[in-house]
Amino acid sequence: MDLSQALNTFIDESHELLSQMESILLSAESGDCSDDELNALFRCAHTIKGSAGLFGLDELVRFTHVVENLLDRLRAHTLEFSPELVSLLLASKDQIAALIGAVVAKEQFALDEELLAILGNYDTSRSMAQCASETSQVTVEPSIASGTEHWHLSLRFGPDVLRNGMDPLAFIRYLGNLSRHMHVETLCDHLPAIAEYDPETCYLGFEVSLEAETSKAELESVFEFVLDDAHIVILPPDSKIEDYVSLIQELPEGKQRLGELLLACGSITPSELESALSLQRKNEGLRLGEILVGEGHVQSPVVDAALAKQKRGEERRQLESRSVKVPSDRLDALIDQVGELVISCAATQVQARRAVNPELLEAAANLLRLVEEVRDTALRLRMSPIGEVFGRFPRVVRDVAKELGKEIELQITGADAELDKAMIEKISDPLMHLVRNAIDHGIESPERRLASGKDLRGTVCLNAYHESGSIVIEVTDDGAGLDPAHILRKAVQRGVVTADVSLSDAEIFRLILEPGFSTAETVTNLSGRGVGMDVVRSGVETLRGNLDILSELGCGTTMRICLPLTLAIIDGFQIGIGASAFIFPLDAVVECIDLPADIGHSEYLNLRGEVLPFMRLGQLFGISSNHKARHNVVVVRFGGKSAGIVVDQLHGECQAVIKPLGPLFSGVAGISGSTILGSGEVALILDVPQLVQLAAAGAGGRSAAAYMAHH
Amino acid sequence: MGQLVASRQKATSGMTEIGGGRQFLVFSLADEVFAIDILRIREIIEFGHVTTVPLMPDTVRGVINLRGAVVPVVDLVARFGRGQMQTNRRTCVVILEVGHGDDLQVIGVMVDAVNEVLEIAAADIEPPPAFGTRLRADFISGMGKAGGRFIILLDADRVLSVTEMASLGAALKTSAVDG
Repeated sequence: MDLSQALNTFIDESHELLSQMESILLSAESGDCSDDELNALFRCAHTIKGSAGLFGLDELVRFTHVVENLLDRLRAHTLEFSPELVSLLLASKDQIAALIGAVVAKEQFALDEELLAILGNYDTSRSMAQCASETSQVTVEPSIASGTEHWHLSLRFGPDVLRNGMDPLAFIRYLGNLSRHMHVETLCDHLPAIAEYDPETCYLGFEVSLEAETSKAELESVFEFVLDDAHIVILPPDSKIEDYVSLIQELPEGKQRLGELLLACGSITPSELESALSLQRKNEGLRLGEILVGEGHVQSPVVDAALAKQKRGEERRQLESRSVKVPSDRLDALIDQVGELVISCAATQVQARRAVNPELLEAAANLLRLVEEVRDTALRLRMSPIGEVFGRFPRVVRDVAKELGKEIELQITGADAELDKAMIEKISDPLMHLVRNAIDHGIESPERRLASGKDLRGTVCLNAYHESGSIVIEVTDDGAGLDPAHILRKAVQRGVVTADVSLSDAEIFRLILEPGFSTAETVTNLSGRGVGMDVVRSGVETLRGNLDILSELGCGTTMRICLPLTLAIIDGFQIGIGASAFIFPLDAVVECIDLPADIGHSEYLNLRGEVLPFMRLGQLFGISSNHKARHNVVVVRFGGKSAGIVVDQLHGECQAVIKPLGPLFSGVAGISGSTILGSGEVALILDVPQLVQLAAAGAGGRSAAAYMAHH
Repeated sequence: MGQLVASRQKATSGMTEIGGGRQFLVFSLADEVFAIDILRIREIIEFGHVTTVPLMPDTVRGVINLRGAVVPVVDLVARFGRGQMQTNRRTCVVILEVGHGDDLQVIGVMVDAVNEVLEIAAADIEPPPAFGTRLRADFISGMGKAGGRFIILLDADRVLSVTEMASLGAALKTSAVDG
C-alpha cells in the first residue's frame, strides 16, 4: 500500500473529525450535549489517536491520548463540562490540528507541553478531588510505576468454546478480580453477517491489558480449561518487542488493526509499535494468512472466512462513500477541455451560418446545446456550498467574543449558496477579517449597548445569496455603525484626502479601505473599524469581486462582498468598438437602447424617468472609431447600481471561456479577462463592476482619475 | 518541463564551461541583429491577428490566441524606446518563456525576420560593454562573436520583465484616465 496516499486519507479524515469535535464542543458550551455527542467526541479523538499511531506520529499520539482520557471521563460522566473545560478542549483541538498541519507541511512541530501538562493535571486533579470528597480517609495510592506490572493477554477463543460450556466473559470477569486495572479491546472482526450468524459459536477475540501482581503460572491456570479450545498468549510485563512482533504475526487480524488495539490497550507505546512493524516488514514476502496457516495457528477455513469478511467490508465502504474525491487539477483539465469544446462548437456554428446550410446549422446548434450542458455540469463539479467557510465562524465568533468580553449571537443564512471551490478557500481570510472586525469594532461593549437601549447580546449575521451571476456575501452587525464625520476627520488628519473634498457618506465609508487609513490606534479611538481593511479589499479584488459598505449610525454596519461565481466560463454579450470586440458578462446586461442623437455632453440618460449615468467605452479605452451610425447603449447593472456603456455595434450573445490575461495585464482597468471567439480571435471581457463605478464616479461630478487614485 | 528546466540550468552554467558552446536564435529587428538563448524559445509563428488591449503601453502590442492560450505579444522596438515596429510580410512572433516569480510566463515577441540558429562558443562571448550600445545595459547578457561581427545577446528575463512592463502599463493607465 502506498503509505503517502494513506497518510493523505488520514489527514483528510482528521480534518473532518476535528471540525466535528469543534461543533460538538461549541454545542456543549451552550449547554446541550447528548450522550451520543459525548461518545462521538470521544470517538473523534480516539480515531485520530489510533490512526496517528499507525503512521508513527508519536507526538500526536502522546497529545491525543491525554485529550482522549479527558473525553473518556466526560463520556463516563465522572467529569462534567465547564466553560473552562470547553476552552481547554477547543485549544487541544487546535493543537491537534496544528500537529496534523505540521505533518502536512513535513515540519517539526514543538508540542505545547504546557497545554499537555494542564490537560494531564486537569484529569488527575479533578478525579483526585472527587475521590477526596467522596471518602475523606482514602489515601491516594502511589501511582503504579508505569508498565512494571503490565501484562498483556491475547485471547482468541475457538468457535466451540460456548458449545463446550465455557463462557469467555467469565474469564474476563475473573481477570478483572485479579487486577487493579484492566483494559479490554474486543475484536469483532470475525462476526459474520446476521444471516450466517450462529448464536452457539464464539466469534470474539480479546486483547486485554492488566495491571496486576500476579505470575504467569497464575494467569495460565485461569485459562486451564479452555487451552484446547482457545489460542491464548500471555506476555509478561517488560516483554521484548520481538514478543509483540510474534504476537502480531500469530494473530489473524492484520498488523495495523492489531497494532492499533495494542496501542489502545496501552500495552505498547507508539514507538514500540513502529519498531515492531518495521521488524515485521522484513517478513513481508509471505502473506500473513499463509504464515499463520503454515504454522498451524489457525485453520484455513478461519482465514478464508476472515478474507471474505474483509472483502464484504470493503464493498460496504464503497457504497458508503457516495462522494468522490478528485484531484482538482484533473477537474481543471476537464473544464479547460470542455472550454475548448465550446469554442470549437461556436466556430462550427459560425461556419455553418456562413455555408447557409440549414441542416448543418441545426446540427451545429444541437451540438452546441449539448456541449453547453456538459459545460454546465462540468462547472458544477467545482461548486461547493459557501457553508464550508461559514462553518468555521461559530468558533471564531465565540473566541473573539470571549476575548473581548462581549456577548455575540451569530446568525448564518444562505449557507447552501454555491460558488467555485477555489474561490471558497480564497474568500475565507477576508471574511474572517470582516467578522472579527464586526465583533471587535462594530458591536459596542455591553454597557454601551444597554445605555443605548439595545439588547445586551450583539448579533452578527452572515448571509449569502446569488444575484445576477454573482454571489453576494454579507457580514452584518447591529453595532454602533460608522460615523462619517469621524472617519472624514481622521482621513484628513492622516492625509488620505484633502480637507476640502466633498464626499457622500458611501464614499467616506470607502475611505476606511485605504491603506493609509488603517492603524490600530485609529481604530481604538474611532467608533469605526479599519484594521487591515485594505487587506480585505485587495483579497476581494483579486477574486474580481467588490466590497461595499453600508452603515447607519447607531444601527449597525453591513459589509457586502460581491464575487463572480466562477473564474472559468461565462455567457457573454459581444459588442464592437471600431475594429475591437469586447464581451460583457451576459448576467450583468439589463437591456440595450439607442443613444439619443441629441445627447450632447450630458453625462446622464433619461431611462424611463430614471437617471442613468453613462460613459463612452471608446473614449475610456482610447479607441478611435469612425462609426457613423447611431451608437448603442448597453445598460449594465452591478451591486444595485446601473450604468449605460456606449458602444458602436451590438453583436449578440456568445459563450466565453474565460482565459486569464496573466500578470502582465494585472493593472488594466475595465478589463477582467479574455476569451477566444469562434473566429479564433481573442476578445477582451469587460469588468462590469469597475465600469459601473467609473460611470457613476464620472457622472457624480468626480473625475475618473480621482476614482482611480482611490483604487 | 522539469527536464527542460534542468537542461536550461545546465546551459546557463555552461557559460563557464571551457569550450562548451551555446545555441542562439538570431533575428533581425529594425535593421539590427539580436540573439536569444535557444533554450528560451518555444516556437516561432507567423504574425497574425493581434487583439489590442486598451490602456497598455506601446510595448505590449496585444494578445494572440496560441492554440487556446492567450499570449501577450511584445513590441521590442517599443521596448527599446525606438518608436513602434512596422509589420511586414516576413514579420514573425517568437514565443518564449520567461521567469516571473516562481512561474514561467509565455510571451510572444515580434521580430522582422528570423535569420538562423547560431552556436557560439563560450570563449567567444564577451561581457556586455559598459557603454557604446543604444540599449539599456541590463538588457544585454553578453556580446557574441560570430563570423567577425558582434551580435547582441539579449537577457530575455530582463527585456521581458513582466513586473516592469506591467508597472509601465499601470502608470500609463492612470495618466490616460486622468486626461
